[in-house]
Amino acid sequence: MILATAFHPKYNPLIRKLESIFTLSDEERHALQGLPMQVVAIKADQDIVREGDAPSRSCLILSGFACTYKVTVQGKRQIVSFNLPGDVPDLQSLHLKVIDNSIATISPCSVGFITHEDLRAICDRYPRITAAFWRETLIDAAIFREWVLNVGRREAYTRMAHVLCELLTRLRAVGLVEDHACDLPITQGEFADALGVTTVHVNRVIQAMRADGLIELSGDRLNIPDWDRLKEVGEFDPTYLHLESDQAAA
Amino acid sequence: MTFTLQPIRVATGFDEEGMMVLDEKQRLVAVLVRLSDENEVAPGQWYLEAGFGQIDGINHPAFSNLDMAQDWISQRVTRGR
Repeated sequence: MILATAFHPKYNPLIRKLESIFTLSDEERHALQGLPMQVVAIKADQDIVREGDAPSRSCLILSGFACTYKVTVQGKRQIVSFNLPGDVPDLQSLHLKVIDNSIATISPCSVGFITHEDLRAICDRYPRITAAFWRETLIDAAIFREWVLNVGRREAYTRMAHVLCELLTRLRAVGLVEDHACDLPITQGEFADALGVTTVHVNRVIQAMRADGLIELSGDRLNIPDWDRLKEVGEFDPTYLHLESDQAAA
Repeated sequence: MTFTLQPIRVATGFDEEGMMVLDEKQRLVAVLVRLSDENEVAPGQWYLEAGFGQIDGINHPAFSNLDMAQDWISQRVTRGR
């Protein structure tokens, strides 16, 4: 970890994220903007928090991709969600003392650590911010439910299409999509851990999706030439993301 | 444990050649597929496409040759007894 000194990042995706699911007043937005945080640059593939930790702060993803995961006794990893800029993937640790999952970076990330003390103070002062945080953790749970369905019951091809639709929709909500293109620093091995299939299988699925004209990949950049078709293939209905605006359908 | 290998083409969508792995009683234990050279993860390796009985599960390793694949299958099948 490299410690940085910035306490108030210029671009704070937390507000953008919360506004995609909740209407904030100017005062609440201002209060969130003033929330102190310790900004840390973390390299790719590093744990941010580990299962069993009892943290006194929560982490806000300012930039980059991270994931929430759990591991079997044999060491097999299941990624249970991808964490994108604006997400506070361990917000629940404000109320649940011991973290029951780990969170790791996928790409190099800038992470803002906010103390639970400061989070409690802002919640005490602004009950609607408490409601917004509550709504965010409820939507996290909705995403986990959708992933159980995805991993447990959908075919690999559909599964992958669904996850890509979710990523694009969530990135769009925080302004990180241009047309239908976005950064995608997730490796095939990481997709395998997220989808519950082997890396070989992920590679076959990606090759088939490319051949079918559903996705275009160039380096870490994903382009979706036919959004409606990808949504259809992925059985993607964005209702579970509970976005406030119509951007989900875009 | 000795196995019999029988070549078979497998419809993986990539025109890949495979092997049926049969045990001493001619029961199908596994299907191995030689991944195409275009595969970006393990080109040319033998992939456990399907396993039955003791090796049925989420573990699908790839092996650099058929001997290593048979050793692995043998260990799993024997351990399960």
